Amino acid sequence: MFEQQLVNGLTLGVIYALIAVGYTMVYGVIELINFAHGEVYMLGAFFCVTFITALGMPFYVAIVAAMLCCALLGILLDVVAYRPLRNAPRLAALITAIGMSIFLQNLAMIIWGSRAKPFAQEAVPAYLAETALEWSGVHLTWLQIFILGVALVMMLGLYLIINKTRIGTAMRALAQNKTAAALMGINVNFVISFTFALGSAMGAVAGVLVAVYYNTLYPTMGYVAGVKAFASAVLGGIGSVPGAMVGGVVLGVAEALGAGYVSSLYRDGVAYAVLIAVIIFRPSGILGRAVVDKA
Amino acid sequence: MLAKLKPVLFVLAAAALAYPLMPFSNDYLLHVVTLVLVYMVLAMGLNILPGFCGLLDLGFVGFYGIGAYTSGLLTIHYGMSFWVIVPLACLNGALWGVLLGVPTLRLVGDYFAIVTFGFAELVVLFLTNEIWLTRGPLGLPGIEPVSFDFTWLNPDWYFELIGEVPYFYLAVAMVAFVWLVMRRIEDSRLGRAWFAIREDTLAAASCGVNILRYKVIAFAISAGIGALGGAFYARWSLFLSPDMFKFWESFLVLCMVVLGGLGNIAGALVGAVVLIVLGEGLREILPILGLAPETRFLAYGLIMVLIMRFKPAGFFPAIATASARNPLIKDLKKRLAGYASGEKSGTAA
Repeated sequence: MFEQQLVNGLTLGVIYALIAVGYTMVYGVIELINFAHGEVYMLGAFFCVTFITALGMPFYVAIVAAMLCCALLGILLDVVAYRPLRNAPRLAALITAIGMSIFLQNLAMIIWGSRAKPFAQEAVPAYLAETALEWSGVHLTWLQIFILGVALVMMLGLYLIINKTRIGTAMRALAQNKTAAALMGINVNFVISFTFALGSAMGAVAGVLVAVYYNTLYPTMGYVAGVKAFASAVLGGIGSVPGAMVGGVVLGVAEALGAGYVSSLYRDGVAYAVLIAVIIFRPSGILGRAVVDKA
Repeated sequence: MLAKLKPVLFVLAAAALAYPLMPFSNDYLLHVVTLVLVYMVLAMGLNILPGFCGLLDLGFVGFYGIGAYTSGLLTIHYGMSFWVIVPLACLNGALWGVLLGVPTLRLVGDYFAIVTFGFAELVVLFLTNEIWLTRGPLGLPGIEPVSFDFTWLNPDWYFELIGEVPYFYLAVAMVAFVWLVMRRIEDSRLGRAWFAIREDTLAAASCGVNILRYKVIAFAISAGIGALGGAFYARWSLFLSPDMFKFWESFLVLCMVVLGGLGNIAGALVGAVVLIVLGEGLREILPILGLAPETRFLAYGLIMVLIMRFKPAGFFPAIATASARNPLIKDLKKRLAGYASGEKSGTAA
């Protein structure tokens, strides 16, 4: 029982981590809570299903196509909604982010309908549903291994991009001091858009993985997932990429254990409680820098 | 311009007050107007935090829900009179406001917004899951309507308010009361302390404003007004369910405040009228286009984005209107404008 909950929580946790990375990178660079990120995650799932059913793409190709579309969407979001407000009060940017989130969610409702749909199961390779390992009552399906593997690869890739490439260096420079970075010849707007694209692509993968895992997708799925991922980002220390990964996994496991042992009714409540407790008692999170002033 | 409009406004207000008594009055229209009035109360209540104090509260609907369920449950279980329940509900809302406020008001900006958001979500989860108390998703039906009980004077004097008309007048009275309170607070020591906190917290603190204390008061009053709106709503709609208190409601009320201009009481009222009328209109139009009525939130989202982009101070910016009336500030502005245009080339930075 305990081990099974642990495995389930870990699977969920790496998905939260994938989404949380998008929040935390954007926050690190422009100090904006990108509320619309949850919707990008939702659209990732919808794009993937649409590519499979309408264009007949194979499963793996459709995932990559959904990633690309969401990366473009992320750039669009930045250019259209956030860039004009770069020097506006932060309240304005935050309200715009919520507005975009609601806009995208309802757009998805208009396009795909508000009811939940199953994932295009016929396109998903059949072996994924089979049990890969079974030991002392703990089932680990190939799908869970696939999710853990994809998440691990993406996290590793992200780590390499941020720490080993020129653009990653530019991102880190921007997070430290935007003016100084611009003076060093960094194209600030380009790097911010790149950050949005990177975060959105990770979010899209998370959306597809969740839709396959639960075999369902619906336009409001981005809301709760977005909140939980944001809670993970805050838990890990907002602005810190490794923090978001750790936070996601911790929250996923805490939630699965909480649902298993305390009460499944308050499953979603765990995320909110964690969010409030961390912000009040340790605003810098597990791995974050000390917060000076977030006004 | 405002002075010229005043007689027109009085005539309009008188017409609006007389309308329900006319033989051609329409129940649906009255219902919508009463709904507008409820949202006016909410918008004025929310306005205190982001408008007066500069704190973004994303969880306002939590207090509205607490007020509504306090009112509903006290009515169902104890059969209390509306006139006893209203102060109790306000106190309960304010109590939760203080309980949430004291630990969180040290936070500013985004973090404050997120904690209030989390609080409102927890309220909805509580209302959904504590079935023994709230009947959960089934909702709370069969709440008694508001009544006047004068049986202690005369055994026949028991009046129950039925239909939309009495509630319309009750809501008008409520809006007038809250509006009066807000106007008085705005110009008081309390209001000025809030404005000082909004404009520059550090400067306010160094002028001897007790930041934490004034913020907690703001939170308590805002929450109390939210609960007042909820208490009325419960006894008017006679049915409650946790779905009514989701995050989108908070966002809707925030939209109203932002649309009218943060910190402007009259602006909040206009915002409530515009968005509720727009919402009701879309609710009629969208099904004709074959869309779910819920998609009207698309319009709300778009409006917020566009306002923030092109009119970040809303349509009636509070500071601009206040200063426009003052001849001294007018003069100063003119001189500053002249000075700035003369010096522009030198000081552009």
